[in-house]
Amino acid sequence: MKERKLLWILLVMLTALFLAACTANEDAGEPQEGTDTEEGNGEDGEDGEAAEETPDLDGKTLYINNGQEPASFDPSIGFDQVSWDPLNNLMEGLTRLDENSVAAEGVAESWDISEDGLTYTFHLREDAKWSNGDPVVAEDFVFAWKHMLDPETASQAAFLAYYIEGGEEYNSGEGSADDVNVTAVDDKTLEVVLIQPTGFFLDLLTNPAFFPINHQVAEETPDWYAEADTFVANGPFMLESWEHDSEMIFAKNPEYWDADAVNLDYVHFSMVNNTNSQYQMFQTGELDTASIPPEMSDELIDGDDVFIGESGGLEFYRFNLTEEPFQNKKIRQAFSYAINRDDIAEYVVKQGVEPAYGFVSPGFTAPDGKDFREENGDLLSFDPELGKQLLEEGMQEEGYDELPPVVLTYSTSDVNQAVAETMQNMLSENLGIDVTLENQEWNVFSEAQQNLELQFSRSSFLNDYADPVNFLESFTTNSYMNRTGFESAEYDELIQKSKSETDEEQRYEYMYEAERMLAEEMIAMPIRYYNVVVLEADGVEGILRHPVGYFDLKYADKAE
Amino acid sequence: MKHMLKYILKRLLIMIITLWVIITLTFILMINIPGSPFNSDQSSNETVQANLEAHYNLDQPYYIQYLLYIKSIVTFDFGPSIKQPNQTVNDLLSRGFPISFELGIITIVLAVISGILVGIIAALRHNGFLDYLTMGIAVLGISIPNFILATLLIQQLAVNLEIFPTATWRSPAHMVLPVLALATGPMAIIARLTRSTMLEVLTQDYIKMAKAKGLSPWKVIFKHALRNALMPVVTIMGTLFAGILTGTFVIEQIFAIPGMGRYFVESINQRDYPVIMGTTVFYSAFLIIMLFIVDVVYGILDPRIKMHQKGGK
Repeated sequence: MKERKLLWILLVMLTALFLAACTANEDAGEPQEGTDTEEGNGEDGEDGEAAEETPDLDGKTLYINNGQEPASFDPSIGFDQVSWDPLNNLMEGLTRLDENSVAAEGVAESWDISEDGLTYTFHLREDAKWSNGDPVVAEDFVFAWKHMLDPETASQAAFLAYYIEGGEEYNSGEGSADDVNVTAVDDKTLEVVLIQPTGFFLDLLTNPAFFPINHQVAEETPDWYAEADTFVANGPFMLESWEHDSEMIFAKNPEYWDADAVNLDYVHFSMVNNTNSQYQMFQTGELDTASIPPEMSDELIDGDDVFIGESGGLEFYRFNLTEEPFQNKKIRQAFSYAINRDDIAEYVVKQGVEPAYGFVSPGFTAPDGKDFREENGDLLSFDPELGKQLLEEGMQEEGYDELPPVVLTYSTSDVNQAVAETMQNMLSENLGIDVTLENQEWNVFSEAQQNLELQFSRSSFLNDYADPVNFLESFTTNSYMNRTGFESAEYDELIQKSKSETDEEQRYEYMYEAERMLAEEMIAMPIRYYNVVVLEADGVEGILRHPVGYFDLKYADKAE
Repeated sequence: MKHMLKYILKRLLIMIITLWVIITLTFILMINIPGSPFNSDQSSNETVQANLEAHYNLDQPYYIQYLLYIKSIVTFDFGPSIKQPNQTVNDLLSRGFPISFELGIITIVLAVISGILVGIIAALRHNGFLDYLTMGIAVLGISIPNFILATLLIQQLAVNLEIFPTATWRSPAHMVLPVLALATGPMAIIARLTRSTMLEVLTQDYIKMAKAKGLSPWKVIFKHALRNALMPVVTIMGTLFAGILTGTFVIEQIFAIPGMGRYFVESINQRDYPVIMGTTVFYSAFLIIMLFIVDVVYGILDPRIKMHQKGGK
């Protein structure tokens, strides 16, 4: 009998739970049906039904999607887009990218650069403050940068600070924190000494890794960045609440020195990691911006609400120079001539991307005001005839009667597969070469590529800072990013000069030359440039999206 | 009582050994998949990589790493996630599990109750219209993958009709679509199982006997028939519970539900070793306990299965 009682209790409990769930759902469902949310562009919704769907924030609120939980809001640790985008709006470095994507005054209101280009003296704004009211002082930068370089911190961004004297030594355990040449002269003066003149240092400083850390807060609460309660911001917004893996609410930061320029009262970040769902939320007005699901590209890309912008980055294929037949330059060039990049961009990748006839993506302005890409022109072309000829010559040079088998490897994804299959076709059609396709799980692939185990493999590059040398330096001898087996003292020297030349025009000349050399050597084969495609709801404006960097909501506005 | 205690102790021991085997196998598999948590398309260099490996003890010999894992399991402290260093694995699990559990329990209750009811109705109307209708729907429910159903539900009920919110996990209204998407499959399976065993049971002599005694049809069905018809349902409940309650990757991803389902899949793709270990241990322990409970419930439902007999084998 006891058992039966137990069963009955269980049954009753289950039923009760079920009923509770049902009634809860009905209650929630009903009032919504009554509200008319035609077109529902978010605004009307906010008073009525959206209150249910989105947290009701009193004030001008922008609803956007961050995709997923930021890795970390410790500026030294969060080394990915999902951390950088929010961080860029919570904090501010010495410099901040302006409307023209140029590094302009941020926390620093001015700076002096010494004659030799090695010493930077930054003058911090008197009214730069943290959200808790503390002034932003030079010591905050010293603290943050040494924190980043501390090997114990294990920051993925640390290599960016190797331009600072003593930075690399400290990070590799050979030096100490005291040897890092960054000093707080006084509360509002910061002095940094670099190992060599670095023309893009001010750009580099816009990377969140160089943001300050309120050293007083950090000393008291070492994990100040982990929760909204303890987070201190010095940017246009502050962290009002943070429900991990779920949502973040940013509120306008009244302590920000340029708070008058900030139009939004709140920014609500969702974390929806499914392209279809976030698009559907955009349709219902639950989100003000969204990306276009790949399969809907044709349908949506030409719409009025689509923003298409440049994004510093390149999709390309690497040749492995240590494996046959790619030790031969002409064979590599032949492959490149056989690829019709226009078709790949327009019909395969879609999403409004541009084919790549060079390595450095558009959007980098040379000292003469022209775009790097325009200035150096198209370095590659689609020319099957020339390709065939080069292939023949190359095979002769190597004494091949038949080309050694070629395996093209890519990391598993629908788009990568489509591109790879298209290339397979083009190589077969235009050169008569049958390449074998192989796909690997991303991490396995990445490891194999790093170890030079792949013959011909897909790659992508996204800029860390807004200078062409960021991409070009990947291919120096022994660079961790090289992954081709390419070694050239001449190229190394060009890159060295591209980093240290003080005359900007001359520096760009070196980079043009380096890029031309890459195209001639053809160790990597560009396919297309990355871009940014965003749907923006009516009335949303002023979101800055830089070719390199992170979106900036400082000037963003939304019509009520 | 003595038998019972002995049985439970024995089961506990077996459970611990099973868990240890799972942990060890997972560890061996884990160190053998190529890749590293620090691989990325973003720039890096050797020093940075070395610092990262040292930070997470990945530069230690494997036996040390193994001992560290065992230690973390014994102390229930898996350390920080490598990919979300803000958070410890314990944070991730303790935050994600209640949400997955909430979604799961509602789903299961809905699936079990409606599944059993539909199954009974179909069995009673054997070869009738209702039977064909419900079983037809059930076949559909089993065949349509839940992620397709989820997308359809969102498109119709959220985007077109705007009855329910699209995604995220905030109010009870947000739960409706994911619960429906998730419950349909198990509901269909349970309905079909209940129907077939019910049909079998209804032809048994003791049911005829009960009817002959003049018991009301209700009493015959719920008191005598259902009890035996539920045995197969209980059998699948253990895995169903463990599977649904610990989160489902696809549904949670589509509806942006911050449950723990994603960690099972993402931690492996990202080689987030502490999270892989944490989720594996959590899931296996949960599954093992569920299966144990199922065995106990068996004993209650069917007195012929004596626990000490089973344990004694």
